[in-house]
Amino acid sequence: MTSPDQINEVLDACDERRNARRAFLRTSGAATLLASTATLAGCFGGDDDNGDGVIVAPPPPTPSPPPPTGVSDADILNFALNLEYLEAQFYAFAAFGTGLPANQLTGTGTQGGVSGGRQVNFTDPLVAQYAREIATDERQHVAFLRTALGTSAVAQPAIDIGSTPTSAFSAAARAAGLIGAGQAFDPYATDENFLLGAFIFEDVGVTAYKGAAPLITSKTFLEAAAGILAAEAYHAGLVRTVLYGKGLQTPSLRANTESISNARDSLDGPTDVDQGVAMIGAASNIVPTDANGLAYSRSTGDVLNIVYLTAAAAGQGGFFPAGVNGAIRMSSAG
Amino acid sequence: MVDPELTMQVLESRERRRNDRRDFFRKAATAAIAAPLMLTMGGKPLNAQTPVTDPDILNFALNLEYLEAQFYLYAVSGTGLPANLLTGTGTQGPVNANGARAVNFTDPVVREYAREIAADEQAHVVFLRQALGASAVSQPTIDIGTDPNGAFSTAARAAGLITAGQSFDPYSTDENFLLGAFIFEDVGVTAYKGAAPLITNKTFLEAAAGLLAVEAYHASLVRTVLYRKGMLTPALLQATEAISNARDSLDGATDLDQGVAPTGVGATLASNIAPLDGNGLAYSRNTGQVLNIVYLTSMARTGGGFFPNGVNGTIRTSQAN
Repeated sequence: MTSPDQINEVLDACDERRNARRAFLRTSGAATLLASTATLAGCFGGDDDNGDGVIVAPPPPTPSPPPPTGVSDADILNFALNLEYLEAQFYAFAAFGTGLPANQLTGTGTQGGVSGGRQVNFTDPLVAQYAREIATDERQHVAFLRTALGTSAVAQPAIDIGSTPTSAFSAAARAAGLIGAGQAFDPYATDENFLLGAFIFEDVGVTAYKGAAPLITSKTFLEAAAGILAAEAYHAGLVRTVLYGKGLQTPSLRANTESISNARDSLDGPTDVDQGVAMIGAASNIVPTDANGLAYSRSTGDVLNIVYLTAAAAGQGGFFPAGVNGAIRMSSAG
Repeated sequence: MVDPELTMQVLESRERRRNDRRDFFRKAATAAIAAPLMLTMGGKPLNAQTPVTDPDILNFALNLEYLEAQFYLYAVSGTGLPANLLTGTGTQGPVNANGARAVNFTDPVVREYAREIAADEQAHVVFLRQALGASAVSQPTIDIGTDPNGAFSTAARAAGLITAGQSFDPYSTDENFLLGAFIFEDVGVTAYKGAAPLITNKTFLEAAAGLLAVEAYHASLVRTVLYRKGMLTPALLQATEAISNARDSLDGATDLDQGVAPTGVGATLASNIAPLDGNGLAYSRNTGQVLNIVYLTSMARTGGGFFPNGVNGTIRTSQAN
């Protein structure tokens, strides 16, 4: 029989890992909702200005850096479209050996090409089936956002999904310590490398959509963005589950997810908003969550830190050698 | 080398499956956005319960989290949430846990997954209760037992997994546990997605988006494991389709649900881990549709199924379909 202590041990183990983000409930222990919506809205608005004796704390559950001022819904959807171009091209090449059709690449800004990318010769037929599913979904996200944005949709910027020693994938893998100086990381070489290449992107998409959700003003587009957020989380959950499962036989896979996670964290600022899949106590870690059991958020600048592969404020780099198209294009400083 | 035709075949097979929900752009074909974003799409069924407040919505979610947390905690440890996480407004109820017990997992990886999800769901209960404070609803009566007339057995019977008088025991095997989890997980995703546009406070919206994402990770985990085990046990794939169809039979005419069975053949064969519409978006359910499923009824009711006495809070009536 399992004792209550055992489940508590599991919970404690998770908490140990996740307690970096416990600030919300600690600092706002008194920030409970009273019966009214007005109180609810006020809870996160500030301190005890109204003199009612209730100290309410401003920090949100997973605080996001302040949004760029004056961003429109179209700016945010175009920002997302850049990321979807990247994901769609990577998966389309890996699954089918061919990229997005030309009529899905046009738009405002400077259109760029795709460097690299080829079909993976999958050995595990299940991984091939997963790749085809995700490739199809990402292509649909591109089509959806382009239709939603209409004539204001940005063109695909230049995208680097190559596998040379100087490619973005190799730079990312080198930052994670997966390869040494001068070596190349080829995400198309094996099932395992493909999964690690996918891992580099997937959780970032989740945090990007979650961070952007509160910035969207249109309720319809908010719900659509929530739908894409969920799709990205399904994808990330799939990739992480497969890496975890294969990691039983090949422990380095689980270790590599931790290394990639740490590399991402080294780029996007001091707060830890990222986790690999390695076991926590006696439990898996398929879901990267904070102590409240919530997924993390990233600001647009922090997302660009990762895809540009830089910790500095920059307008380009990494997977987007000429930067993304649209109004939101600068990564965060520090 | 790759044949572009092949790509299109896969895409088309997926789209055939998903084209029931293409109306986003059919209805809004002219809703292309000129430079200032312009939105014309409407018609998404919100809900009859208006006006709802943010606490109403979070309390609705808390009821669902009680259910999920109790199921996973019993499956992992044989015991449920501690008593201090059950109190609140409304009528507090017990867990009808007759037969609920720690699963004797044979696949250690499935046990590790179960432990992770149980911890996450308990964290969700704690988070929502803290956020709601004194307005948090108490746990209503919850049925996660294995009686032939219990909610799990009724759901499994509706899906054709068992016949009259039989019981479905989600604690008996790894596979049954995964199917029990499958009954809930996608529903949580659609519930949070449907509720997101109703939340007015931006902080709580972002928190709800965080809960949505986690439920999608959980659903993906469960679906991925069922898909893999389904290679050796094809009945598992069919069971997910049957459960999906049973859910769809409860929540109205629109198909908002998919199992994991693959589409295509040979080199076009693709999994279906993510249940998405033709635009690659997850589905939404309104609160009434979510209650159709957890009450196990297609009618307007205030209790049944996994919540024999209904959920607590102001949102408690299922939709008449």
